[in-house]
Amino acid sequence: MLTMLRRRFLCTQASNFSFFNHKPGGRRRPQWPIKQVTKSNFSDSLHEINNHISNSDFVAISLQNTGSYSSLWHRILPFDTSETAYLKAKYAAEKFQILQFAVCPFSLRAFNKLTAHPFNFHLFQRDELKIGTPCYSFSCQSSYLASMAQEDFDFNVCIYDGISYLSRAQELAAKHQIGSPVSSAYVAPSPLSRSVADNVFVERIKSRVGHWISACTRSDTKADGYKITNLYIFFILNLFILFVNYFLLSADALVNSLRKLILGGDEFGSRPSLNIDVCSERQVQLVFEMVKSHYENAVPLTIQAKGGGTQSVRVVLTSSKEDRDLLEKDLKNMEEEQSKRIRGFREVIDLISTSQKPVVVHNSLNDFTFIHSKFLSPLPPTLDEFRSSLHSAFHDIRDINHLMKEVGPLNKYTNLPAAISYLKRNFFAPMEIELPQKAGMEECKNHGHNAVRISELFARLCFILKLTPEAQHQNPDGPSLKPYSNLFNLCSDNFHETDDISIWTHNQKKISINNLAFLWGFRSSVSAGKLKSLLSKSHDMLSEDDVFDVQLVDKNCAVIVFWKNGLLEWFLDALGSGDALRELVAEGLKAAGYETYKRVCKSEVFGEDLAALLAEFDRVSRDHVEEPAEAYWNSELMINFDDL
Amino acid sequence: MVRVFLRTLTRIPSYCLSRATFSTDSSSFAIKNVTKSNFDSSLADLRRHIRDSDFVSIDLEMTGVTSSPWRESFEFDRFDIRYLKVKDSAEKFAVVQFGVCPFRWDPTKQSFIAHPHNFYIFPRQEVGDDGSSYEFLCQTSSVDFLAKYQFDFNMCVKEGISYLSRAQEDDVRLQLHSAYENEPSVSPFTAKQSKDVPLLRMADILFVERLKNKISEWRDDLLQIRNGVSRRTLEDSNDSIDQFQTIFFRTHPAIKLNGFTSRQLRLIKSIVEKSFKDLTFIRANEGSCFQQFIVYIDSKRDLELLMKEFKESRLKEAEMKIEAAIGFRHVIDLLSSEQKLIVGHNCFLDIAHICRKFVGPLPSDLEEYVALVKKNFPFIIDTKILLNANDTLQLKMKKTSTSLAKAFAVLCPHIASGVGSFGSAHTNSVAVEVQVDDMRSLNWNSGAKHEAGYDAFMTGCIFAQSCNHLGINFTSHSMLTKEVKLQSYINLLYLSWSSGDIVDLKTGNTRTESSAFNGLKIQQPKILFPNIVLIWGFPSKLKAQEIKESLTKVFGLTSVTSIFHLDKTAVFVQFSKPELVSDFLKLKSKIEKKNDAIYVLHPFSDLLEGGLTGAACYEVYKEICGSPISKPLFADQAEASLQMIPRQQKLLEKD
Repeated sequence: MLTMLRRRFLCTQASNFSFFNHKPGGRRRPQWPIKQVTKSNFSDSLHEINNHISNSDFVAISLQNTGSYSSLWHRILPFDTSETAYLKAKYAAEKFQILQFAVCPFSLRAFNKLTAHPFNFHLFQRDELKIGTPCYSFSCQSSYLASMAQEDFDFNVCIYDGISYLSRAQELAAKHQIGSPVSSAYVAPSPLSRSVADNVFVERIKSRVGHWISACTRSDTKADGYKITNLYIFFILNLFILFVNYFLLSADALVNSLRKLILGGDEFGSRPSLNIDVCSERQVQLVFEMVKSHYENAVPLTIQAKGGGTQSVRVVLTSSKEDRDLLEKDLKNMEEEQSKRIRGFREVIDLISTSQKPVVVHNSLNDFTFIHSKFLSPLPPTLDEFRSSLHSAFHDIRDINHLMKEVGPLNKYTNLPAAISYLKRNFFAPMEIELPQKAGMEECKNHGHNAVRISELFARLCFILKLTPEAQHQNPDGPSLKPYSNLFNLCSDNFHETDDISIWTHNQKKISINNLAFLWGFRSSVSAGKLKSLLSKSHDMLSEDDVFDVQLVDKNCAVIVFWKNGLLEWFLDALGSGDALRELVAEGLKAAGYETYKRVCKSEVFGEDLAALLAEFDRVSRDHVEEPAEAYWNSELMINFDDL
Repeated sequence: MVRVFLRTLTRIPSYCLSRATFSTDSSSFAIKNVTKSNFDSSLADLRRHIRDSDFVSIDLEMTGVTSSPWRESFEFDRFDIRYLKVKDSAEKFAVVQFGVCPFRWDPTKQSFIAHPHNFYIFPRQEVGDDGSSYEFLCQTSSVDFLAKYQFDFNMCVKEGISYLSRAQEDDVRLQLHSAYENEPSVSPFTAKQSKDVPLLRMADILFVERLKNKISEWRDDLLQIRNGVSRRTLEDSNDSIDQFQTIFFRTHPAIKLNGFTSRQLRLIKSIVEKSFKDLTFIRANEGSCFQQFIVYIDSKRDLELLMKEFKESRLKEAEMKIEAAIGFRHVIDLLSSEQKLIVGHNCFLDIAHICRKFVGPLPSDLEEYVALVKKNFPFIIDTKILLNANDTLQLKMKKTSTSLAKAFAVLCPHIASGVGSFGSAHTNSVAVEVQVDDMRSLNWNSGAKHEAGYDAFMTGCIFAQSCNHLGINFTSHSMLTKEVKLQSYINLLYLSWSSGDIVDLKTGNTRTESSAFNGLKIQQPKILFPNIVLIWGFPSKLKAQEIKESLTKVFGLTSVTSIFHLDKTAVFVQFSKPELVSDFLKLKSKIEKKNDAIYVLHPFSDLLEGGLTGAACYEVYKEICGSPISKPLFADQAEASLQMIPRQQKLLEKD
């Protein structure tokens, strides 16, 4: 099928590329009209993008971050397992910051027509609510920033006018910190049994609320706090003693609490309210149940303590059922208004998530670790947890890297324009790209092309691979993109159940991580070839051809792969005991198995010098846990230090 | 005398020139901004200004101050800890703007001449590729702060001047020279045993034959010319001029090979090596890409000479590249070599940044650091120290805050207000004339606060005015660094302003100022570091009071002197006696080891609930602060950094 299409067509690209700027002498660079969104036009664009997302089939996204790795070994390397790759991606996502987030909702219609509505959001996470910065600090890779500057990235727009945001977890924490009343969010689970203490508590609160309500209604809701029943005084006295105990040192707090108590709580808007202090979430639940079942016109709200947890329950008294509904509606609006302010750009992420549209990305592991950590919640410690956590928000992720692997040599192209031009040169895939919106900004500020490129590449690949993306809506089990969804671009993932692995693994030998070790302690900046010859001269076991291979990770560390099982154990033993490889040991050469590397990654102490870290962790413990896992040995992808 | 006279003479034209611009808009010309494009020319001017100056004021703008909340300055921080925190800051954050303002006293005008410079700098990697990327941290609030004062981030990233520290320069040079020495001296190209390209394809064989003929033809022609028998010119002999260009490679006739594929080049190389004794194949670095040549050589000795010459020129090129990459450090080297008095405002962190960015890695020890500073910058004066330590100045300041802007407004109202000082009542004020390129003004006020150049200017003005109040005569020919009236302030820096901790750069001694200068400070119980235990990772609901209660239940009511939250995950507890620290640590590990039911009732059960509670003595706190890791929460930091601390340290904590 592929070979049928692999023909050169000379005049296929003549179609609709009016968006190309033909710069005299310069290279062709597509200038698509992409809507640039900053703080000032965010709320307007939100509405717009919502419509486009719901009317589109897919959403392509692309991020521009402040960096991706701190030292060479932090990159995801061919010998990484999916787990270590995740840990590396996690480290980067926690460290660096997103500056731009391009979203491109698009549809593929008949006759290869791609309709896209690209948006490019400028982001900068700052402390908008003055409750302590959500992101205390972030790293920048200066080479990254410099290359962004070369593409005329406007850092001032980003920092001055970037849209702020909070992740879901941060939003929850922020709400606690603001201490705003929450009503609807509270879902009371039905308790299995009530203890005696619970009953006593409920009865006490019930009578307290009852007395307060009757006092309020007697006085026709004015000066509610001054008519205090005997019981109430008794209760206050009890509380007073408690408070004296608790606030011995802070007189201020005591005065405040007393004032509040004597006045019978605050007024909530124009309505009287009563605060009930609680000691546990269980008591919150009990108070809610009691109020809801016994007092129809009272509305319970939780008051969050600073730093999390419920501090007290506020009971607001309404005059009638209508009034109660009104209050509840007001509360809901208030909450929504506030959350909108808090969420900021995350609103867009939520829109994409709730739309359940397939999300098309270029490097899913990298992008989604960033998205998870910045917009959902802190990244979990393992890949499995991450996958399930991510799945709850984005259940359909298409990584074009996986589609690209289907098209032979395309997996060599890591940058999008190169991949697209490769496809254009080698395949017949006429494509009409329509971007209905008009560009609002001048050319140099027009960023976010990668999201459009991703959608274009996706469309081309679908056409070439004869995948029918639009058919999916009618027939979810048909021949569709399903096998490619939710795959992460890892060099060594093991969830390729399909047979197509053979198409693109011709230059990769599958090797077990049990045959791979890390070497360090050699002379800095030695070449892989020299290191290999040094090793092969050291012992007869290593002198044969094709026994092992060496590649450098960085100037102080290398990996050694044995093509025969069992050799690794011998090698590690020999180096450890210093019997067989005396010369190497004398030179200071050290080695450790893959487990040590895993431990380094797991520790999340990503120092700059891998060799030093390996030495440290190797010393700490020397347990070798056998764990069958596969890594691919791919010399093409391996970094060759001499080339750098 | 003659020198002064000459100076005035030479200045006249420029003064006349400036008069012309003076009348238009005197006080609002822009500060001298220096970026990549005008760095070289500005450096030449600045060199002259610094040489002539009496003192140089500086100010830095950074991308942040503390890498995590718990790295802020605490009451419970010892001197060495304070240094470690400053060190961490200088290591992680970048300097984005550097203000340098030389001040020179002009005795004829009885005023200072200031040359404020505002350098945009950016840690761009220009040379050396050892794999590690240049990386820096940004504190969101600081970046926001810079944005509030209209900092131009685009200018900084695109046009910022890069720099190399002395240590980096040494590293790069070492790399370069070791690479130079490792290259075999004869010829790296012919001596290298390269695998022959197998001639498998028909095209290859044809190509080799064709090239062999062509090269030998070229060589024969060359020899004929040399022998004086010139039948035809070289240009005529080559039909494919584009690919086969005859040039001179360092006085040797050569063919420049253009437009061949890498496979073809390998083939040509093997042809040259196999068939021609007096030709050699050379791959030379031209700019960023490689260029291949076939060079004619007379003898083996000739080849050696050629190679040597070639290598040396390459080395020279690389050296020049390194020289260029030093960039902004030239300014620092200038300050250091001229041994001028450097004036800063609360500048301990600034100096740490300067040492880290332009000298080399900071030592882990305060004493060593002080020696490093002393060696490079022998005379530093901190205007904040000056304002707080001198009674006359205290009086002038009317006990207001000693922040830069405040001090400037109080001490130099004639400059701050932007109203000219001619004929005004400020008889006691020092006139400062600002000179930017050809423009001059006596009441210059760019008003751009928190711009490094302007801040440096303000600092210098404050210093000049302070000297005036101290009765220092600028006209006398003695240097300011030798001035007796300044001796008790020179080389004193605030290690931490809030706590009044001062470090003396002359001796390396540290002391804490009595609270006289910051009278509002509440006297805390005396801090005894051996009595302190650090507890982290306890259940988040526990507050200081509850922790204190559970501790006093075991060790007695008076056992806990004070308790202090580092952040929500960690506390310092100061016991009344140092033994209690080890008692507590022992008891804690005992409870943790025995997972008995009885211990559920132990007063510590709340504290140890969840099994993640860690505790250690004060020395471990130092280790944690010294760790390069920076986690936002202290509990995470402690766990992460203790993984890396040698085991004996851990045992110390356990026993």
